[in-house]
Amino acid sequence: MTNLLQVHDLEKNYGSHKAVDSITFELAEGTSTALIGPNGAGKTTTLSMLAGLVTPTNGSILFRGKPKPDIRASIGYLPQYPKFFPWLTALEFTEMAAVLSGVEKRKALAEAKKTLEFVGLGDAMKKRAGTFSGGMKQRLGLAQAIVHEPELLLLDEPVSALDPVGRRQVMNLLKELQQKTTILYSTHILNDAEEMTDQLLFLRKGVLVENGSLDSIREKYANPRILIDFESVIEAERFTALSPWAVRLEKKQVSIDAGKDEVSTSEVVALLHTESLHIRKVELQTASLEEIFMKVAVEE
Amino acid sequence: MSSLNALLHKELRENIRNFKMYWIPIVFVIFGILEPISNHFLPEIMKSVGNLPEGADLVWPEFRGEDIFVSLMGQYQLIGILVIILAFMGSISGERKTGTATLLYVRPMSFSQYFLSKWIVVNAIVLASMWLGFFAAWYYIQILFNSVAAGEVFAFLGTYSLWLVFAVTVVLAFSACMSTGGAAGLSILVLLVFQVIDGILGTYWTVSPWKLSTYASNVFGASDGQSAYWMSVGLTAILIIVLVFFGMYMAKKNAAKTLV
Amino acid sequence: MSELANIPWNLILPILVLQLILAVVALIDVIRNQRTNGPFIMWIFIILLVNIVGPILYFIFGRKQS
Repeated sequence: MTNLLQVHDLEKNYGSHKAVDSITFELAEGTSTALIGPNGAGKTTTLSMLAGLVTPTNGSILFRGKPKPDIRASIGYLPQYPKFFPWLTALEFTEMAAVLSGVEKRKALAEAKKTLEFVGLGDAMKKRAGTFSGGMKQRLGLAQAIVHEPELLLLDEPVSALDPVGRRQVMNLLKELQQKTTILYSTHILNDAEEMTDQLLFLRKGVLVENGSLDSIREKYANPRILIDFESVIEAERFTALSPWAVRLEKKQVSIDAGKDEVSTSEVVALLHTESLHIRKVELQTASLEEIFMKVAVEE
Repeated sequence: MSSLNALLHKELRENIRNFKMYWIPIVFVIFGILEPISNHFLPEIMKSVGNLPEGADLVWPEFRGEDIFVSLMGQYQLIGILVIILAFMGSISGERKTGTATLLYVRPMSFSQYFLSKWIVVNAIVLASMWLGFFAAWYYIQILFNSVAAGEVFAFLGTYSLWLVFAVTVVLAFSACMSTGGAAGLSILVLLVFQVIDGILGTYWTVSPWKLSTYASNVFGASDGQSAYWMSVGLTAILIIVLVFFGMYMAKKNAAKTLV
Repeated sequence: MSELANIPWNLILPILVLQLILAVVALIDVIRNQRTNGPFIMWIFIILLVNIVGPILYFIFGRKQS
């Protein structure tokens, strides 16, 4: 896999406030990357810098290995709340967007129609954007971002503002696009990130605190533990006394930190069996992405 | 070239759909018709309506057709300029404020073409409105007053057109440079207040864009100071070019201020 | 009312027509858009009652651009 985009020490200061503090990452061609972090972490600023809207204070952007501060010709960008000229129809706007992004004039109209069909605005393409609902605007926003078939798609919170149905539909569109192009998108909704992500970038207060594949981050923060629910408190206490591992007892429940001593579930079950302890359930738990998020993005 | 075309197309559609393409010419033409009519009939109206004391015979100056062109220009200098400022003060700043500019600015579009597209369309609307207004007035002047030599009319309109191009450029450059409110305030200062200042203090100099309207009216007779006229024309043209480049530069510089 | 007859209607008619067009265009726009800066009904009255200036005021100040 070749690197499409390399970002090195990218930084944006507003006065003394560091909105984005020296972040470095790479995007491999054809992958999808989620930019995760709480509100105010610098996600929008990062995307705005890549989109050429905001000039970085520092740092370099390499596109296909070449230093290129302005990559506007190669990207499609969808802001969090796309704003359209209310007096232009969806088709007129998408056609203009295509031409301004370098599509030949005579092909632009056909491309615009095709794209609007793809995002599900086929019936509304002759309507003015001023009359569109939030979900339709988001689709139109997606259409203008992909109509020129950009090499890199930058999406700022593409589904956050949508209702569950709209979110599902847009997510399906994004999954289709994922097959064709490289995507960098920001989100604070972890289920979305889980659904279509090769790489995760965690931002906190402008700093890139974690960067890696979904699996590697999972593994790192999984914090596996074995939970045992006993029939009675007495049995739980007996197990605690017998246990060769460090355990935490809480009424009828015992938890064992499985990560530290590499305890396997079968060892635990074997012990339970030989001591004929009555249990309700044994479970190996790993941290959900939600917990990982809290751990990485909020705590120190 | 095709992106300039696309931007021009957008500006045209905008001004048709927000009706500026219609109401601005209509306003200029209404004033163009009203001026000769009211000047022609005012003495009669005053006589029949006004309760003038017996024997107080008001002597109305005898207007020539040429004077009507000049007094109509006087109307446009205030009302016309105000309409230009108020109608176009948000051309660029408004797109930043509402965030509609964002989806343009993230494209490989040149800010020169962006500014130019607005400059061309706004100038076309304003100049067409102004010329239509004067042509309407001309028609009435021929009927109600005397016929005016076409050469003089065109020299007059040509000179005044340059001033209006200057006015449009000022408004758009300020709109690129600051907020809509600021653009309105500074445009009023530069186009209306400076005009008054130039009128009061302007005896000390002869070369100034604010004197173009005076030079335009001089076409109808007193043609003194030919060189000062041409130097004012030249200076105004240079200022227009400088302001256009300034506007292009500021539009790009302020791109980051667009609502994301 | 002999003065009425003296008024050259053929000269004034174009102004009346243009005024009418201006007011009609403004009215169509205000009714179709339904969204104005300030009360919608107020603008209808301004357009209808204030000659020439009413529609201009609406287009400049009353019309919501977005």
